[in-house]
Amino acid sequence: MERVLVNIPSNPIFERVVRASADEVGQAIGLARERIEDLKLAVSEAVNNAIEHGNRREVAKVVEVVFALDAEKLEVRIRDEGGGVERVDFSRRVVEEQNLESGMHRGFGMYLISALVDDCEVSSSRQGTTLTLRLYRKDGANER
Amino acid sequence: MSDEVIQREEFGDVAVLHITTNSVDAISAAAIEANATATAMRPITVLDFANVAFINSAGISALLKFVVSARKAGHKLFAMNVSPHHQKIFKMVEMSRFMPTIEERDLAAYR
Repeated sequence: MERVLVNIPSNPIFERVVRASADEVGQAIGLARERIEDLKLAVSEAVNNAIEHGNRREVAKVVEVVFALDAEKLEVRIRDEGGGVERVDFSRRVVEEQNLESGMHRGFGMYLISALVDDCEVSSSRQGTTLTLRLYRKDGANER
Repeated sequence: MSDEVIQREEFGDVAVLHITTNSVDAISAAAIEANATATAMRPITVLDFANVAFINSAGISALLKFVVSARKAGHKLFAMNVSPHHQKIFKMVEMSRFMPTIEERDLAAYR
């Protein structure tokens, strides 16, 4: 197994660093461009979630991202140092009339993650939350 | 990042808002949504995504401010030069219902 580790402080500007890393890793393993774009968006949402809701933007707290690759899949683990969560809602969220009027324009992130990767899971404790995303390689071959 | 994340072009009843940042995300969101004002819009307002390489949910939230402003003013809001990936994302969250995509050539009649 090969691993790439990226640790960032809980400042949203550094989400772009993780996103750029996702792009490079995706290219390095030969994912198709559309799958790389899906990966970047899913990782972006997960990292922003870890910064905002996990570490509550406390810059001293780290978001740890591990890209782990084997012959079967790319696994991305995003871990925060927050107090944990009871549950995570991956249900479908869309723009709705009533939300427009109320100004509630957030909440698409977890739905997008679940829709864009092959599978995802959450483990959480009082020491933090880890979101694991997986993209399976098609026959372990280059997808381009 | 440049402070000017949107360049405005106006002709007749049309305002084209060219998004100049390539990343519509948590960092650029505030500067983008600051342009979602009634004065920046015209009866037909078009957001141009030609330079946009990335949009996430924080960016979508910023774009929804344009939807709200356009609806309040009774204006029509469109998107153009949206990449196939972003068209897919807009469709997934049903953003395209509130901001349909048009082609640049559709604006020719207004110029």
